[in-house]
Amino acid sequence: MFGIYKIPFQTDAAGITVSVECEGETSTYRRIAPLGTLTKRLGYREGRVFINPVEPVNLPSEVTGMLEFHFTPVTLRPGSSIPICMKFPVEIGVFVGAAENYTLLDVFSLARPKYSLYGTPEKGFITRHVECEVYEYAPPTNPFEEGVLFLTIKNSARDWVEVSRAVFDASMLRIFHGRIVAITGEMEVYSRLVAETSVLDLPPEDGMKQSLRVFPTKRMLIPEKQPFMMEYGVGD
Amino acid sequence: MAFESLRIEVIGNVTLFDLIVFGISVLAAAVIAKVVAIYLKKSLSDRVQPKEMDFLVRIIQAAIIILGVYLALPSFDINLADMLVVGGTMGLVIAFASQRIVSNFGSGLFLIAERPMKPGDSVNIGTVSGTVEEIRVLSTIIKTHEGVYVRVPNEKIFTSEITNYVANVARRFEYTIGISYRSDAAKAIRIIRGLLDDHPFVLRHPAPSVFVDTLADSSVNLRVFIWAPSRVWWSVRTEMLWAIKVALEAEGVEIPFPQRVITFARDNEGSPCYDPQGDGAAHGRP
Repeated sequence: MFGIYKIPFQTDAAGITVSVECEGETSTYRRIAPLGTLTKRLGYREGRVFINPVEPVNLPSEVTGMLEFHFTPVTLRPGSSIPICMKFPVEIGVFVGAAENYTLLDVFSLARPKYSLYGTPEKGFITRHVECEVYEYAPPTNPFEEGVLFLTIKNSARDWVEVSRAVFDASMLRIFHGRIVAITGEMEVYSRLVAETSVLDLPPEDGMKQSLRVFPTKRMLIPEKQPFMMEYGVGD
Repeated sequence: MAFESLRIEVIGNVTLFDLIVFGISVLAAAVIAKVVAIYLKKSLSDRVQPKEMDFLVRIIQAAIIILGVYLALPSFDINLADMLVVGGTMGLVIAFASQRIVSNFGSGLFLIAERPMKPGDSVNIGTVSGTVEEIRVLSTIIKTHEGVYVRVPNEKIFTSEITNYVANVARRFEYTIGISYRSDAAKAIRIIRGLLDDHPFVLRHPAPSVFVDTLADSSVNLRVFIWAPSRVWWSVRTEMLWAIKVALEAEGVEIPFPQRVITFARDNEGSPCYDPQGDGAAHGRP
């Protein structure tokens, strides 16, 4: 299903049907998925439609730009680093336009979203909450429902630390798709309270394509931030 | 002859010609500011949020007008020493004449610097409750929940208690839900917890809590504490209450009406005592 389609088209996968049908000078977009359907009238009958996984912070409505992974605790000794894998829920974005000038038409997902708070109500961040297991290698996933975060955690603190949280700024997420949906990230832990996370513009496997992102289609005056400083702890 | 009249000094050394040049310069600056504002709105509207756009446009317009005035000032051939004396005196006069305006202006500057609220926030200021539309230098515009326009002077806002419902990213709300004494409270708590887990905007952390709070006259009262993102807390609050009611009833948990059990004493023949006179005679009392 992920790819570029020329209007008119229809594609089906994993119980999801996405189509654009031409009617006179206009066309109609239809999406049928287990958690909902959507119909939109398009004012054109030619063009390209991009379907790919997007930053999973858009559903059911946008309340945050942060993605929080809450995982099985990982203990690291000072100066060490460890690569781990975690699953995350995929949201599928449908865009119309050209590669450099596109707009978001629809976002849907097979996963049920859940949100949380990282930090305090006064100064913290609302986050899209992902509760997950830690894997040594990429676990098998349904790419329409789950992706894999390849995260390298480095302990730059003087003490041993136990890490069970990683928070990413979704505006800097780079999602790749191919055989799987994937994000490559890094986390450098400075203490039990402070860490820095960043996302690499690097596919974990050869032959993967980078997804169009929802974030650039939003009206933002302030440029994207890199990286994100976690100041409210890396554990429970 | 007409040119000669332009050379006539109107105020001190300032001629009518100087005044016209100044007026034209300021007017030109205002026109340029307006044109730039329109251009900015056209070209940046798809990249900048409307509120940020308004702020940006105002700053740029103010800068252009100040620049226009600055460029036009030399036409007056102003002596800065005189300016200071005249300006100081004028300032005192204006300050006395417009204390409230100055007070509102100062309050406005403090509000802008302190930022207890921003446009779009849901607030309660004194007796006014609504959404902040705009924070101006002298006043703040509130749109009440009924959609009414209210202009509040900044001085009043500065000295009032401000409740900002969305200043924090998350907020808590609560329900008290009464179930009958016959119903299983543990089951009711389990059902409510399931609903809270399923709702995306009931925050995982801080976790919601559900517990038996009081054994009241007509019901066992459960208390439900929920944290939600401030931006959506009201919709979560309204959705969840009805969802809880429907789910509890579907699972056979009764939400009782207020009730009182009345026990009638019986006489020796087994019929209930009835005391229509209310004097205790039916009970054998004198």
